[in-house]
Amino acid sequence: MADQPSQLRILLADEQSLFREAVRVVLESEADLVVVAEARDGLQAVAEAERTTPDIALLDVNLPNCNGVRATTLIKERVPDCRVLVLAGEEDQRTLISALEAGANGYLTKESPLGELISATRGETLIPSRMLGILLATLIRRRREQGEALRRMSKLTRREKEVLGLLSAGSDNDAIAQKLVISPETARTHIQNVLAKLGVHSRLEAAAFVVQNGLQDELIGAAT
Amino acid sequence: MKTQVREGRPTRKKEVWVRQAGKENAVFDPRNGSLHFLNETALAIWDLCDGDTWPEEMIDAVCLVSGLPREVVAEDVGRILHQFDHAGLIDWVE
Repeated sequence: MADQPSQLRILLADEQSLFREAVRVVLESEADLVVVAEARDGLQAVAEAERTTPDIALLDVNLPNCNGVRATTLIKERVPDCRVLVLAGEEDQRTLISALEAGANGYLTKESPLGELISATRGETLIPSRMLGILLATLIRRRREQGEALRRMSKLTRREKEVLGLLSAGSDNDAIAQKLVISPETARTHIQNVLAKLGVHSRLEAAAFVVQNGLQDELIGAAT
Repeated sequence: MKTQVREGRPTRKKEVWVRQAGKENAVFDPRNGSLHFLNETALAIWDLCDGDTWPEEMIDAVCLVSGLPREVVAEDVGRILHQFDHAGLIDWVE
């Protein structure tokens, strides 16, 4: 059935077909809501968003083949007028914040009552009120950690950033030495300096430091 | 009129506490028996009045979560903190 002009057009993306079907039934029980596309993974969600240009995309955060955060970024780039709502567990605060930073307009948890799903879809409430305080506190804590991480990163020389980039990509001493045309001893010295400046104790911790603080972009170019 | 945010980090007064009953949230001040009802945003800001968080951090976070323009959020957060301050519910840490 063709959707009516006054209806909000929805893209629904979740790996579980049963969940999609259940949400579709709930949403389409409202006269002003219509599901125009479904997707079972992130790449399909982005493709369907481009094809159908929905008003709203409802994405599970743990989609396979491009997770909900990455899919949010791509949908906001390619269909900027589409509002994105992310579905995640209440305990997954950091992922939710990543989704908001990626441009998501709001989120729901899978524990949310159906009324909340419907009102969020209509754009009436995009953040469940019970989640607001903890979300803000988590966000502020994360911003502080990122600020501290950037402060530590700023102590690294360009060469050390190159080493960190390679190290966080999984390269060992020999591979780093070969790539940077330096001796393995020099590579080891650079690695020790990087670990000391970042205040971490192992290569694994250094790699985790980069990922957890979203510093990959800081290293782009340094290791090429 | 633009609400000016005071310098420093707001901190809840120790004697004051939050009462939650269903969807209603209120700050109770036993020193004078006053009750101040809070909406959802005010309650979230109240929770952030920990003596450690700067108003600018609150504004940045609310901007990201709400998607509202910074000037709108700054005005709202400033007004809420001003009301807490005016009611004697918070102190300020330099």
